[in-house]
Amino acid sequence: MNLKGLPFKKSAKFLTLLLTSILIASVSAAVYYSLGMTSTISTATTDVWFVKGVDNATAGVSLSPDNTTALLTDLKAYPNASFTYVDPIRVRNNHTSNSYSVRLSPVSLSGNDTEFVFVKFMLRNGTSDDNATLATLWYNCSGSDWTVPSATSWVSMPADTEWAITVQTKAVDSAASASVDIEIAVDVQ
Amino acid sequence: MAAELLPEFFALLGTDLFLMLSLLTCLLDDRFPKALPYIYQIAALAGFGHLLVSRNFFTVFGDYMRFWYCFFYLLVSLTNIVAVNIYFAAVKNEWTLAKVWSGAVTFPTILVSIFFVSNYSYFQGIPFPLFLQVALVVAAIIMGTSVAIFLSPEALRKALKEDKEVRK
Repeated sequence: MNLKGLPFKKSAKFLTLLLTSILIASVSAAVYYSLGMTSTISTATTDVWFVKGVDNATAGVSLSPDNTTALLTDLKAYPNASFTYVDPIRVRNNHTSNSYSVRLSPVSLSGNDTEFVFVKFMLRNGTSDDNATLATLWYNCSGSDWTVPSATSWVSMPADTEWAITVQTKAVDSAASASVDIEIAVDVQ
Repeated sequence: MAAELLPEFFALLGTDLFLMLSLLTCLLDDRFPKALPYIYQIAALAGFGHLLVSRNFFTVFGDYMRFWYCFFYLLVSLTNIVAVNIYFAAVKNEWTLAKVWSGAVTFPTILVSIFFVSNYSYFQGIPFPLFLQVALVVAAIIMGTSVAIFLSPEALRKALKEDKEVRK
């Protein structure tokens, strides 16, 4: 088709349509491209949470409504004697088929740093004293300062399993009344 | 990894087909009603509207619904292309133009549309049956050969002439 031979009216009409076509095609392509960039984020329920252990009353355990945070308020450290809370709180993998990797990691520490010897958090491969310790978060006190441990290595937790977090404490000989607040996290991936 | 097609791709394809129809009917306006190119432009704008609706209700409409309303729009644009082809052949009795339109517009657009639909269905886990895939490839080869012959009929004539001479 010879476009040069087209009458002016027809050329103008064609040019107008061509311009509007380019415009519509461009903006449509831009909208399609922006659709490809859209992300859909939806809420999900957790599969791993805390459960009270058999020693929860002794340790003063209270759980948040969604069982994702726990507060242990009645833990004691006795002078020159190790005291163990074998099963105050548990970590539960509630998924029916998926295993998850978990670890213990320190978050914060505040309070007295002279009256304690250590505080240990041990993740057990079960819920009794006989079960092996899989990971330990060991807070040591030198008498003047706390040594904050680094996060433990990841441990694979099978589906539908409960593991106890054992807490062990010790205070110095003839310890005066004192308290320390330790916050730890159970990381899940 | 190849990017997965979104259902809105069919709306985009339909929009572009309507725009192409608008320009072609403008060039051949002595054979069509004067308003037709503008009607096709409005139809293309409707496709743009489709995309905007999809973007604003992305999470409300499921994949299934998005696919069907976009695919329906593409079908409407393809139907228009076929209708123009029939219009040339049956109403205007312009067989040459109908053949050219068929080879240069109708067949390629249908082939391209089938290709993208098969690609989309493959990513959705519902691949086309094998015979349909083979048919698609065969159709593409035939189309390519036909276009080549159509563009240079001399080459075909020469080849046939040589064949006859060899037989003699």
